[in-house]
Amino acid sequence: MATTTMTQQPKKFLMGGTVALLIIAGVVILTVGWGVTTWNALVQRDQQVRSSWAQVENAYQRRADLVPNLVETVKGAANFEKTTFTEVAEARARVGEIRPAELERTIEDPAAFQKYSAAQAQLSASLGRLIAVAESNPSLQATANFRELQAQLEGTENRITVERMRFNDAARDFNTMRQGFPAVVVANLFGARFSEKRYFESTAGADKPPVVRF
Amino acid sequence: MLPLTLLVALSAFTPPSPTHWVNDPEGVLTPATRDSLDTRLATYERASGHQVVVWVASSTNGEPIEQFAERAFTAWKVGRAGLDDGVVLFVFTKDRTVRLEVGYGLEGVLPDAVCARIIREQLAPKLAAGELGPALVAGVDAITHTVGMPGVPVVITRPPRTTLQWVGIGAVVLALLVLFILRPGLMLQLLSFALIFRRGGGSGSGGFGGRGGRSGGGGASGGF
Repeated sequence: MATTTMTQQPKKFLMGGTVALLIIAGVVILTVGWGVTTWNALVQRDQQVRSSWAQVENAYQRRADLVPNLVETVKGAANFEKTTFTEVAEARARVGEIRPAELERTIEDPAAFQKYSAAQAQLSASLGRLIAVAESNPSLQATANFRELQAQLEGTENRITVERMRFNDAARDFNTMRQGFPAVVVANLFGARFSEKRYFESTAGADKPPVVRF
Repeated sequence: MLPLTLLVALSAFTPPSPTHWVNDPEGVLTPATRDSLDTRLATYERASGHQVVVWVASSTNGEPIEQFAERAFTAWKVGRAGLDDGVVLFVFTKDRTVRLEVGYGLEGVLPDAVCARIIREQLAPKLAAGELGPALVAGVDAITHTVGMPGVPVVITRPPRTTLQWVGIGAVVLALLVLFILRPGLMLQLLSFALIFRRGGGSGSGGFGGRGGRSGGGGASGGF
């Protein structure tokens, strides 16, 4: 009898230790697994934002590429105020000034984002005025070249609207997850890797007349 | 109850998925025009692979036509996945607006300027004269003629399965096999269910079904 109680004591202790160890191992495995899943989900949404952003940039680039041709066509057919052209040319130049390195961190950097969308909004406004002036000119309206350019510009503006909307959706999707409880722990662990994304505002200065400097 | 109300709310927001190539939910077209155009577009899709859809209604109810078109195209997934080779022609008779929404993959053959020309030259004059049927026929003619047939037959290849996917498939097969040995009755029931669902969910051979295409707002709009 005495020997059995003697041997049972350490056995019980050993079993308790094993169970505790198993529980700890289980908790560790679960935590790591949860961390990895959250990380992957964040990465996937982050990539979605980046590819949507690339589409936004494409659409804006497409518009910037149209500008010289449009200006030449309008200039050749009509002799109206020079300020309309200089405005467009200046706005186009400002868009072109943004360096690739700046462009790369636009999604995360509020200042860079602000600069980018402000430059694009100014180009929108000045192009809008140019088209309005050109449309009031019947001889220009009749040329096939102008009509084609106008259709291209309209299509491009529509693409910009669509891609901006999709970008905002992707950014909202990312931000919602990033701010939500379990994910925010993982996201904060890696700091800048998962910083919050910016949004395009529906009328990012497009309704206000741009400041023209001479 | 909740999923039902959610479904109703969603369907009120997005236009219902098209059931044919030519869709005329309000019955503006004559059945003969609708059916002949529908057959033509079905044949065209079988031959070329490109989905061309026509949507005729009276109004977008105040929404800009571009926005409506983008939302509808995204919901309907016109064109093939990966190729994005769908085109939708929207005509709103009361709004007096037209839009050609072009999938990403056809932006090269149907650039905005060409779409604008099709609207200006083929659709707008006839629509302005009140000839809806002939306008649609002319528009569809112009679209299919411009897009044409692909030079080489396009085959969609699926990306090869990864090892992990194979492991998953193996596990499922093994589980089903074990189930079959242990409970053959249940397994037979499952099989019949699967068959029923397949028959119910499939798009069949006659009807229209979106194939996962996307658009990025390319195309053109116009009035008449």
